[in-house]
Amino acid sequence: MAAASSTRVWTPAGRNRDRRRQKEQWGNPVTYFIALIFIAVCIAPVLYLVLGGFRTNSQITTSPAGLPHPWVLSNYTGILKSSTFWGEFANSTVVALVSSVGIVALGLMVSFVIARYDFKLKGAMYSLFAAGLMFPLVIAITPLYIVIKDLGLIDNLFGIIIPQIAFGLPTTVIILVPFLRAIPKEIEEAAALDGASRLGFFARMVLPLSLPGVVTTGILAFIGSWNNYVLPLYVINSQRNFTLPLGVQQFSSQYSTDTAKVLAFTSLAMLPALIFFSIFQKRIVGGLTGAVKG
Amino acid sequence: MSESLGTDTVAGSQSQGTFGAGGAGVTASPAPPRAAARRRGRARMRLEITLLSGPAIIMFLAFVIFPVAVAAYYGFYRWHGYGPATDWVGLNNYKLIFTDPAFQQVLWHNLLIVVLSLVIQGPLAIIMALLLNQKMRGRGLIRVLIFVPYVISEVIVGTGWSLMLQANGAMNDLLGHIGLGALQSDWLADPNLALWTLMAIISWKYIGFAVILMLAGLQSIPDEIYEAAAIDGASFWQMQRRITVPLLGPTIRIWAFLSIIGSLQLFDLVYIIWGQYVSGTAGTSTMAIYMVAQGRDAGNYGYGSAVAVVMFLISLVVALIYQRFVLRRDLRGAVTEGTV
Amino acid sequence: MTRKTRGATVAAIGLGIALAASACAGGSSGGSGGSGDSAGGKVTVTFWENATNGPDGLAYFQSAAKAFEAIHPNVTIQYQTIQNEDFDGKLQTALNANSAPDIFLQRGGGKMQAEVDAGQLQALNLSATDKTNVGAGALAGLSIDGQAYAVPFDTQPEGIYYSKDLFQQAGITTTPTTIDELEADVALLKKINVAPIAVGAKDAWPAAHWYYNFAVRECSQATLASTAKSLQFSDACWTKAGDDLAAFLKVSPFQNGFLTTAAQQGAGSSAGMLANHKAAMELMGSWDPGVISSLTPNQKPLPDLGWFPFPAVTGGQGDPSAIMGGSDSYSLSKNAPKEALEFLEFLVTKDQQVAYAKAFQSIPVNQAAQSGITESYNVSALQAANKATYSVLYLDTQFGQNVGNAMNTAVVNMMAGKGNAAGIVSASNAAAAKG
Repeated sequence: MAAASSTRVWTPAGRNRDRRRQKEQWGNPVTYFIALIFIAVCIAPVLYLVLGGFRTNSQITTSPAGLPHPWVLSNYTGILKSSTFWGEFANSTVVALVSSVGIVALGLMVSFVIARYDFKLKGAMYSLFAAGLMFPLVIAITPLYIVIKDLGLIDNLFGIIIPQIAFGLPTTVIILVPFLRAIPKEIEEAAALDGASRLGFFARMVLPLSLPGVVTTGILAFIGSWNNYVLPLYVINSQRNFTLPLGVQQFSSQYSTDTAKVLAFTSLAMLPALIFFSIFQKRIVGGLTGAVKG
Repeated sequence: MSESLGTDTVAGSQSQGTFGAGGAGVTASPAPPRAAARRRGRARMRLEITLLSGPAIIMFLAFVIFPVAVAAYYGFYRWHGYGPATDWVGLNNYKLIFTDPAFQQVLWHNLLIVVLSLVIQGPLAIIMALLLNQKMRGRGLIRVLIFVPYVISEVIVGTGWSLMLQANGAMNDLLGHIGLGALQSDWLADPNLALWTLMAIISWKYIGFAVILMLAGLQSIPDEIYEAAAIDGASFWQMQRRITVPLLGPTIRIWAFLSIIGSLQLFDLVYIIWGQYVSGTAGTSTMAIYMVAQGRDAGNYGYGSAVAVVMFLISLVVALIYQRFVLRRDLRGAVTEGTV
Repeated sequence: MTRKTRGATVAAIGLGIALAASACAGGSSGGSGGSGDSAGGKVTVTFWENATNGPDGLAYFQSAAKAFEAIHPNVTIQYQTIQNEDFDGKLQTALNANSAPDIFLQRGGGKMQAEVDAGQLQALNLSATDKTNVGAGALAGLSIDGQAYAVPFDTQPEGIYYSKDLFQQAGITTTPTTIDELEADVALLKKINVAPIAVGAKDAWPAAHWYYNFAVRECSQATLASTAKSLQFSDACWTKAGDDLAAFLKVSPFQNGFLTTAAQQGAGSSAGMLANHKAAMELMGSWDPGVISSLTPNQKPLPDLGWFPFPAVTGGQGDPSAIMGGSDSYSLSKNAPKEALEFLEFLVTKDQQVAYAKAFQSIPVNQAAQSGITESYNVSALQAANKATYSVLYLDTQFGQNVGNAMNTAVVNMMAGKGNAAGIVSASNAAAAKG
């Protein structure tokens, strides 16, 4: 539930709650206790990974559940000092941002058409994108690779970005269409009376009103891109174009893997996605509301 | 003219220069005769539809539908991946799939995973969402923490859990340290346990998403209802049972739909934790695992493609049935939009 | 698959997709596609290898290229190292797209057969000197109907690596030569609370190699050869090998949870157990010491590592000295220039082979270069290899991906108590139908 602007009295997410900026109350202790258990279960495995980065492989093998003893900082410091890591970080960021913007922009436009225009092929269009939900990327990776190759995008960041946008569209359309449909007719009519065309309405009313939905799909797209392993693996060849998920390969030789370094690397690699999510999490709830309300 | 500026910014993202022009000369022209206006209106609408949906559709066709279609084409060949596919075997691959006991086994595993995901995650997520829906301090933090597993990639999750759950891994080590040595088990390899282990990991990973979705659904229930119920003297739990859960119906049904489709396509976690060989033995193999193991890893690209097609058809049928019988009331829309 | 195609990292790093034999990983860069102008003009030879064994291997190849370029000023050798798991997919795409490298790593067996069938490989025209350098036996394994299609660089006899310290602690004085002795040693090792034998069954092939070694003992050389052609496992020895393995499993020789232990990827793998003295033995090819040394507490080679050949079984049809193994070999793509072949010939000369063995800690294929070997496990392995009346390629490689994978899976099933020796036969027949 986003109260993005204080002047707004209506959100597509349904009714705007009374949002006085009052101090939140402390909740019931039982609630906190249950939440605490829940959180412990959620977080413990993640902590295990993070702590594993402070150990050596030998420690992990001989005493799996032990704490780091002694603490080894070199796994983390080595990664943070390496230019390779920061290069991969930059690539991942570029790919994730461009993919998210592309998914949201194209998805919003096509969702607007499906939600607010009346034409014959509307149902077919929706079904086309909905069917996309049933295709995991694994199925089509071979022919997809050939398409990317024919476009000359192998070993190019756009070779990841463009297919990611295409594969990200179904989810976006599914979330945004009900959302855009929920915008009352009256608003559109009022805009029309003011002399706005439908495109004007789209630009001036729909975009601001659908902000929560846009942020939601943007977050999902960003996280999906950040964690994507398969596509970069196939498309990218040279180290300078590696994204973070491919970076773990540098800790693997032909027959072995440096587990402790992998744990340190992955712990660092997941941080940005977590931070990104924490910043926008309030919006995600607001955004999904439109979708699930239908 | 002002509106064309707005549209331009949208269009700018795909460099369609004509966009702004299309949006312009409309309001500026003097009122034309009515029939012409309608015609022009229709033409204009067509143009708008084309411009707005064109880029997405072209991309989707080129990078999703076309490759999938090519994969389907390979499904009619016996093809080892070197040189062009020439050995046409018609429907033979499909015949083999449906007669292969190993495929029947993975199909059964997939169905179990679908059902168990719904049964385990659904109630937990609803209860959690009800608790977190109260206005209280720290709600945002709790939400973020619960969502953490969902944000982390499958790759990392799989690596971590397989390290922890190996027979000589952290979980058994920990149980030994705290005096629960009797509970030590072979979490991953014991066929009686492995599926439950997988379900625990799946629930851990995806429940955050379910909770957030439920929370979103709860936002759209008007406070007035609760106020009225409170005046009537309803207790907290009565309100939840009588008001919240029924009104949450659409959300629950949407979540279930996403969960079913996700379960049918489960791949990464199983592949990373069990590998392609042992998953069958442990009873955690899925259709996607079968596809990769029998297709790509065995060098039978044609056969693998046929399995992919079968997987798609199964997902599609399940989705259509679900839309038809479960979602009909909530979602005039998804796949069956045109026919409702 | 053999060690090479199921290397490690994948699952450990976690990986979404089967790379080990993926459809088309990445690019088709390189690949001169036969740009060779054999009349003495400038020639670039592209060379794809998976030598990711750290800096030593790469350094060797680069210095070898420099040495060769010094002799042939018109030639430039261009390396591309490719992550082992991605190698097959990338290569396959390149071959299909007609942009194959001139020289590339050859897995051998069924895979090589498929490449030859598709007309992708150059038949190698080797001189008498080459044949002396490489050795007839090693070349035979890379030939089809007497025609060689790849040149081996080393020889990798498979056997059991063991910890001398743990054997001593358990009171074992000599390494076992029969399965009965091995079973007795297993009992002794259990008394000192270590896992007697580590096996990485998660990757299937390490477990399946136990079955294959039993098969090499049970089946005659002729049966092995004819089965590789027909892929019909009708001879009783195949079932007998399965029964041998089942009987051996009765003494529970492997570590707990061996089904989900990976072979070599880092902490918690079977190689890691040996490296940290949590297990006493592991059946592996000759790259194992390198893996183990990266997983010891000080990340140095394990000082007490030894090697002995797979023990004999009573009444087997196979020669008790026979040995199963493989090699790192290289093929030429169909349009490779003659300079590519010259480079391969150069690499198997004595001095190059000495340097190669040093860099890779392996046994060079050139017998003249073998005198430089010092590590006790390599010395034992070399003795066994030289004593062997015949050697067999890893059977899963020999049978090809399709049947090899199916057999590996069937063996794992049997070891998990969900199948029997007959299941291995039916699994391979089912696989043959799909391929």
